[in-house]
Amino acid sequence: MTARDERAPWLTLKMREAMEAWLFISPTLAGFLIFFVGPLCAVVWYSLTEWNLLSQQSVFVGLDNYDDALFHNLDFWQVVRNSIVFAIGLVPLNMALALALALALSRRFAGVVFFRTVFFAPVVTSAVAWAIVWKFLLQGEAGFVNQMLAGIGIHGPNWLREPDWAMVAVIVTRVIKMVGLNMILYIAALQAIPRDYEAAARLEGASNWQIFRMITWPLLGPTTLVIMVITTIGSFKVFDHIYLMTGGGPENGTLVLAFYIYQQGFQFFDVGYASALAMIMFVIVMGLTVVQLALRRRDT
Amino acid sequence: MIGSLTQRQLRAVKQICWTLALCVVAIPFVFPFLWMISSGLKGPSEIFGQPSLIPTSFRWNNYLEVFNYQPFARQYFNSLYIAVTVTLLTLFISSLAGYALARLRFAGAALVALFLVSALMVPEEVTIIPNFFLIRWLGLSDTHWPLILLPVFGSQGIVGTFLMRQYFLALPKELEDAGKMDGLSRFGVWWRIALPMSRPALAAVAIITFLNSWNLFLEPLIFISSLEKFTLPLALSNFTDPYGSPLWHLQLAATTLAVLPILMVYLIAQRQIIESFALSGVKG
Amino acid sequence: MSSLTLRNLKKRFGRVDVIRGVTLDVADGEFVVFVGPSGCGKSTLLRMISGLEDVTDGELRIGNRVVNEVQPAKRGVAMVFQSYALYPHLNVRDNMGFGLKVRKVPAAERQQRVSEAAALLKLDALLDRFPRELSGGQRQRVAIGRAIVGHPDVFLFDEPLSNLDAELRVHMRSEIAALHKRLGNTMIYVTHDQVEAMTLADKIVVLRDGRIEQVGSPRELYEQPDNIFVAQFIGSPKMNILPAGSAAGFGAQPAGAVSVGVRPEHLSLVAPEKGQIGGKVVISEYTGASSLLHIRLDSGETCLVVVDGDAPEADMKVGLLAGTDNLHHFDTDGMALRKSRLLM
Repeated sequence: MTARDERAPWLTLKMREAMEAWLFISPTLAGFLIFFVGPLCAVVWYSLTEWNLLSQQSVFVGLDNYDDALFHNLDFWQVVRNSIVFAIGLVPLNMALALALALALSRRFAGVVFFRTVFFAPVVTSAVAWAIVWKFLLQGEAGFVNQMLAGIGIHGPNWLREPDWAMVAVIVTRVIKMVGLNMILYIAALQAIPRDYEAAARLEGASNWQIFRMITWPLLGPTTLVIMVITTIGSFKVFDHIYLMTGGGPENGTLVLAFYIYQQGFQFFDVGYASALAMIMFVIVMGLTVVQLALRRRDT
Repeated sequence: MIGSLTQRQLRAVKQICWTLALCVVAIPFVFPFLWMISSGLKGPSEIFGQPSLIPTSFRWNNYLEVFNYQPFARQYFNSLYIAVTVTLLTLFISSLAGYALARLRFAGAALVALFLVSALMVPEEVTIIPNFFLIRWLGLSDTHWPLILLPVFGSQGIVGTFLMRQYFLALPKELEDAGKMDGLSRFGVWWRIALPMSRPALAAVAIITFLNSWNLFLEPLIFISSLEKFTLPLALSNFTDPYGSPLWHLQLAATTLAVLPILMVYLIAQRQIIESFALSGVKG
Repeated sequence: MSSLTLRNLKKRFGRVDVIRGVTLDVADGEFVVFVGPSGCGKSTLLRMISGLEDVTDGELRIGNRVVNEVQPAKRGVAMVFQSYALYPHLNVRDNMGFGLKVRKVPAAERQQRVSEAAALLKLDALLDRFPRELSGGQRQRVAIGRAIVGHPDVFLFDEPLSNLDAELRVHMRSEIAALHKRLGNTMIYVTHDQVEAMTLADKIVVLRDGRIEQVGSPRELYEQPDNIFVAQFIGSPKMNILPAGSAAGFGAQPAGAVSVGVRPEHLSLVAPEKGQIGGKVVISEYTGASSLLHIRLDSGETCLVVVDGDAPEADMKVGLLAGTDNLHHFDTDGMALRKSRLLM
């Protein structure tokens, strides 16, 4: 019996490991290619065609759909404006409230668990249920909110029927629904800051505000960035909330991009145009992400 | 006079003020739930009458009507079994992929991870139109398949993959080496050592995946047309009179039925659930 | 039947050469210790033998088999890990029996083998406990027990004692020595602690930067180090290395000697005028049984000396004596010039 008797298997251990890795990852990768990469390519193609679902005809039209959106369709710019207003209203409000709540709830005191549970509860609730209940609360004259306002002598607007107020209502109710998520991210980040920093600063006579401004806030930087990116992108994804509360109305006052894509694609069956909108959305979201990350990198 | 208070008393007073302020802020977070339950027990006329948290007469009948109006039990079951299926599939697939990304050496690992992460940034609205045609081409329109396939292989599955990867990376590697020395195959190491030690991560993935599926709206709206195939969110939005106005008392009763069980589970396991979301957010 | 042969073994991680060609023969039943500073590749080498790391180049044989591409569990080796690596979700019995279960050993035999190992290691009373309920020493014993039940040809230990406190480490060291005597298996043991290496090994392999510096019995390494690295790595406190010129007073030097090594315990103190070399005490560290003196030589170098009993105080002038037998001579490359060569 010689040493050479045992021949090497046709797969080396190293090749075997790589093969197993691809095997492990293949379901995810296959799904990713089929349901994400493929569609992403398809949407580029669709956006260059005039494709009417009803007539089942597809014609290549070049950049006509983009031209339509950017230079001819008045709705489009209103939708972009609405999306920006929605994001600009929602993101700072959400983050400020989340940080304030986190600061209040990152210490230990009786009731802290109760409050955390309360502020987080809407996050686990379905957006549909949340929208239905708030739509009910915000009914015109008979709605609960307005009845309460009337009780203290304020004549409330018909929240969801006036374009500007509808936008406010949609933003605020969405913030209440989602703020808990950012709150717990901030709480986790605050609790990860070593206590010694605060103690050292206090010994040097720093006030609460100085401690926050000069120690806590800079240390929260990375978390703030992550939260900002997630929340901004999230604001562009909002669909169900608006679909149920206002249906994009009144007078397209709450018609945002996600909803507009749905409307054009699945209600008006203008697949080419809707796909061009989807591409525009893709570019906006990617652009925003890159800009925010770049800004942050320059900062630090 | 303030000056006569001791440090300790001062702190107590401050704490009470803070707590009161937090209670005020909490109102819009809690009240909608209370009002939902209350209004779901009122009749169509009382619902817009003088506001009162306790209904003048409890109309339990609303809850019967909910089931007569549409096949609500069937729809409830649809949501439940779809969410369970999606959760189990996601756990299986994302923990496999997460393990490969965390532990196995292969050319292209970094690239695969980068591709998957970038997909997280893209809203599903971008790809929903081609996916609609894909599902139709596969002959799966008006079935529950898209409601299972799209979340499992979409961003939810990717979130799960990275959550698992992060957790696997932190596990002591020597345990898996010991498993290999004991004769386990790669699959065996994953199944019998890595997974049993990853219960917290698996629980986190399960929780966020289940809730995501349970609350899914856009996909059912686009793919499902038959009433008996509706899921809960779609069913809830469907309590309307023939002219499209909401039948509030039924809608709110049904919403209560949909929300309350989840809320109960949340109250019992709030710590674990909140941690799960924190875990999934931090990695993003 | 379970000898071990390494032929020009190499390991590369990306562009980094971790093991740069190691050739070594381990006889059946030998206790071999790999020792070296951290990063020298000793753990990687052990993991290559276990199969947890693949071999980039060279040949690895266990017994008669070339095992380069054989899976870990089929090499007939068992490993004891630094962190013990006990499965936290299994109790002691299941931890020890896990490998047998995977290999589909019948339950009855499994049971018997586990109880044998448990009896050997005095673990009988702990079989139903979980790892988290055990002390460090107990965990270590379970880890050894897990290795034993598989009846391996070769045992591999990866710094098994480094997570234990000093007292327990000494105790477990003797238990491992006793185990080797009793089982008679080939054992390979990795450590960075040269005391552990000296006390346990039949044969020590000193590694540096992925290469073998010297192989030999503890006595050989101590008395005849091949080079300055080994001379200083083995022995504590470490050997003094002086330039040949400064050490001329100690006696004749072979041709080509550039530096001279002498261990602190081989130097003795005498009155200044009686010494071969003179110096002044800089620091005197009293450690109980002996004292460690830092001495500034007249030529400027610092030299360590171990003295039993009363030690002179700082700033005192002293003379140093060294026996010729205790001197080590090294050439420009730091390689030892052997005494045998000196006599010729």
